[in-house]
Amino acid sequence: MFQKIRLFAGKDPYVDRDGTYLSQLRENVSFHMQHCEPYSELLRVRGFHPEQLQSQYDVSRLPPLTTLYFKRNRLLSIPERKLFLRATSSGTSGNKSQIGFDLPSFLLGIAMAARLFAYHHVISLRPVHYIMLGYEPSRQSDLGAMKSAYGSTFFAPALSRTYALKATKFGYEPNPEGVKSALLKFAKAGVPVRLVGFPGYLMLLLRELEKDGVCLNLNKHSRIMLGGGWKQFTGEAVTPEQMHQLVEKLLGIPKERVHEFFSAAEHPLAYCKCKNGHFHVPAYSRVIIRDTVTMSPLPYGQPGLLNFVSPLVKSMPLVSVMTDDVAVLHTGESCGCGIQTPYFQLLGRAGAQGIQTCSATAAELAKGSGKA
Amino acid sequence: MNLIHGELVSNEEAHAFLLRLNETMAELLARPTLPREAVIAACATLADSIQVETHASLLQAFGIELQKAQTEISEAKLQLSSAYLSERIRVELGDDHQRAFIPLGEENLVHLQTAPLGVVLHITAGNADALPVYSVLDGLLTENINLVKLPRDDNGLSILLLMELMRIEPRIAERVFVFDLPSSDSESLNRLADASDGIVVWGGDEAVLAARSLAKPGIRLIEWGHKTSFAYLSGDTVEEPVLESLAQNICQTEQLLCNSCQGVYLDTDRVDYVVAFSERFLGVLDRVSADYPRKDDLFVGAKRKIELYTRELENTDGSIQVFQTGRAAVIACRSSELSPSLQFRVPWVKPLPRNQILEQLRPFRGHLQTCALSCDAASRTELEQLLIRAGVVRITNPAQMSHAYCGQPHDGEYSLRRLQKIISMES
Repeated sequence: MFQKIRLFAGKDPYVDRDGTYLSQLRENVSFHMQHCEPYSELLRVRGFHPEQLQSQYDVSRLPPLTTLYFKRNRLLSIPERKLFLRATSSGTSGNKSQIGFDLPSFLLGIAMAARLFAYHHVISLRPVHYIMLGYEPSRQSDLGAMKSAYGSTFFAPALSRTYALKATKFGYEPNPEGVKSALLKFAKAGVPVRLVGFPGYLMLLLRELEKDGVCLNLNKHSRIMLGGGWKQFTGEAVTPEQMHQLVEKLLGIPKERVHEFFSAAEHPLAYCKCKNGHFHVPAYSRVIIRDTVTMSPLPYGQPGLLNFVSPLVKSMPLVSVMTDDVAVLHTGESCGCGIQTPYFQLLGRAGAQGIQTCSATAAELAKGSGKA
Repeated sequence: MNLIHGELVSNEEAHAFLLRLNETMAELLARPTLPREAVIAACATLADSIQVETHASLLQAFGIELQKAQTEISEAKLQLSSAYLSERIRVELGDDHQRAFIPLGEENLVHLQTAPLGVVLHITAGNADALPVYSVLDGLLTENINLVKLPRDDNGLSILLLMELMRIEPRIAERVFVFDLPSSDSESLNRLADASDGIVVWGGDEAVLAARSLAKPGIRLIEWGHKTSFAYLSGDTVEEPVLESLAQNICQTEQLLCNSCQGVYLDTDRVDYVVAFSERFLGVLDRVSADYPRKDDLFVGAKRKIELYTRELENTDGSIQVFQTGRAAVIACRSSELSPSLQFRVPWVKPLPRNQILEQLRPFRGHLQTCALSCDAASRTELEQLLIRAGVVRITNPAQMSHAYCGQPHDGEYSLRRLQKIISMES
C-alpha cells in the first residue's frame, strides 16, 4: 500500500516512477484476475499473464476493456456490500456505466486529486463562493460528473454554492436568473468566485451575459474549473481561445486562472491542462493510442483510440480502459511547459456526427418483439 | 422560428396563436378548400426554379454535404413535378370512392365522395432533410389544413421551402402553420392535437407512443415509425452481382435508412455456411466500400472498432465471429434473431432456414419493411408468401432496396389515402 500511495500521491504528479508504476500495475492486474472470474477469463483467452508486464513497452499488451463494455456489463473484484461509493456515467443516450469504489481506492483518489490540483495551484485556503454550472446533488441522481464537481468545491473553502440546475421536488429546473444575480452580487462585493462545471454550460452563461450587456470584473482570486465535453450542450463548436477571450471580457478572469480537467466515470483519474493547454499524463497513468483497425499501439503523433492504463481502483477492473474518444499522443518536450511526461490531445468522439436515421434501433426491435 | 399566416413569428406569438387555435381552425374550415391543382401548380413552379447547380451550395449552408445535396435536389425536382404528383394522386387515391351507385338490395342511389380529414397535425422528425415539407405536401394534396411540429434541432430548411411555396401560391399560407416548439411543451402539443382530425407522426417508438397518448379516441393516427430491412438469400450459389448490389446499398445508405440492408439471412441452418459467406461478403463489401470514401473515416472507423471489439469481449460463448478490414466488417452470427446492424458498413449474416421465417420474424412485424430477396424461381412464391405473412411489406431485388418509385406504398399503405375520409351521401 505504501508503494501505491507513493505512486498516486507523490509530491510531483509528473515525476516518472516507472518501476513503481509497473509493479503496482502487475499487482493490480493480478488482484483483479484473482477476484474477478470474468475478467480473468477475458485476459486468459487473449493469452495475457501479469508477468508479461516487465517494461513500459509491455503495458500495451494488457487487453483494454471499453467504456461501452462497462455500460453493458458489471464486473466487480470485491463483494457488492463493500462498495463505498457508486457513480453513474453521464451518457447522453442509452446505457450508463454503474461504477462502484471501495473506500481505500476512493481515499487514494482524493489524495491523488489533491496532489494534482495543488500542483496546478487550484487548492487554496481562501474562502470562495461557488457557481456550479451543472446539477445540484440530490437523491434523484448519482451522476459521476456531479459528484466530481461537488468534490472539487472542497479545494477551497465554500462560502456558498449556487447551482445552474436546481433540484426541486419535481426534478431539475434551470436557474439562470439565480446564477446571474449571484454573480452580480459577488462582483459588487468583490469576493472571490469559482465557477465549476461543463464548458458547454459556461458558454451558455457567457452568451446570456453577452445578451444582457453585462461585463463583470470578478475578484482577482476567482477561478474557473471546467470538465467534460465542449460541444455536447450548446451544439456550437467554440475553440478554447474564443472561450478564454469571452471569459476575460465578461467575467474578468484571465486565461491562467481557467483550469480544464479531464476524467471519466470508467477512468476516475483527473487530468489537468498545463499552462499551454495540454493534458499531460501523470506518473500513475499511461496513455496508449491504438490503431482503429488492428488495435496495435501507435507512435507519437498518430491519431487513434484512447486507452488509459492505471492501477488506481481495486473494486472493479478499471485498470485498462479504452474510451469513446479519438486522440493523439505527443512527447512531453514538444509542449514546452516544463512537464516532461507525454500529453494527449482529444480530437473528438468516435462515430459520425449529426446522424439522420429512420432505421429501427435494437431497443425498438427488442420492445416490439416483447423481448425487452 | 414559427410560421403563422405566412409570417415568421416568435414563440410568444405562436403561444398566443395557439390560445385561439380551435376558433381559427373553425374559421378556416368554413372557407373553400385549396384545390389540389393549385398545390400541384405551386410545387411544379418550385421544382422548375430549383437547380442542382445553383442550389446545392445553398443546402451546404444548412450543413448538408455537396454530393447529398445534389442528389436531394434532383429527387426534389422529380417529386415536386406536376407529372409525379398527378401520378401519385391517380395511383394512391384512384377514383373508386367518387361514384354513384345503387347498393345491393336497395332502391335509392348512393353518392360516394372523398373529403379531407380537416386539420392534420404533423409531428415530424429529423429522419431526412426537409421531411416536414414532404409530410405537409401529402396534407396539401389531400386538401387538408396542416399544423406542423418541427423536429428538435431543425435546420430551418423546411420553413424556407414552405415560405417559397407560400410566395408562389399565397393561399398555402392559410393551409400550413409551422411550430418550432419543444416536445416538452406539452400544453402546446395538446392544443395542437385537440384542434386536429388526424395526427401524422414520424420518428422512433418513443415519438409514436407520445403521439398515441396525444390522440383522443376517434382521432386518426398515421404512424411512420422506424423500420428494419434485410436481405434473404436462398439457393446453392449466390451470384457476385447480388453481393455487390447489397454492398452498394450498405455503403450508399450507411445502413441508416428504414429500407437499408441491416444484414443478410441465409436459407440454411448451417453455421459453417454463414461463416464462409461472411468472409466472402466482407471481400466484396471492402472492395465496394473503397468507391464510397468518407471524410470522417477515422472517427467512424474508431466507433466501428469500439463496437466490434466490445462485442468480441462479450462473446464468451462463441456466438459471433467478426471479420473486419479498415473500411468495413461483417459479423457472422449463430442466432437467427433479427437485430439492427451496427451501421456504417457492418452488416450481420445469420442462418434462417425457410421453415423458421415466421417463427423468427413475426415477433418483429411492427418494425419490418423491405426484404431484398434472391432465390431460385422454384422457391420464389413460397418465400415471398412466408416473408409477407411474417410482416414484410416490400419485397425487392438487392439493387433496388433503397430506390423509391412514383406511387410506392409507404410502409404498407398509401399515405395520401390515410389523410382522407370517404363520405356516403344518401338521398
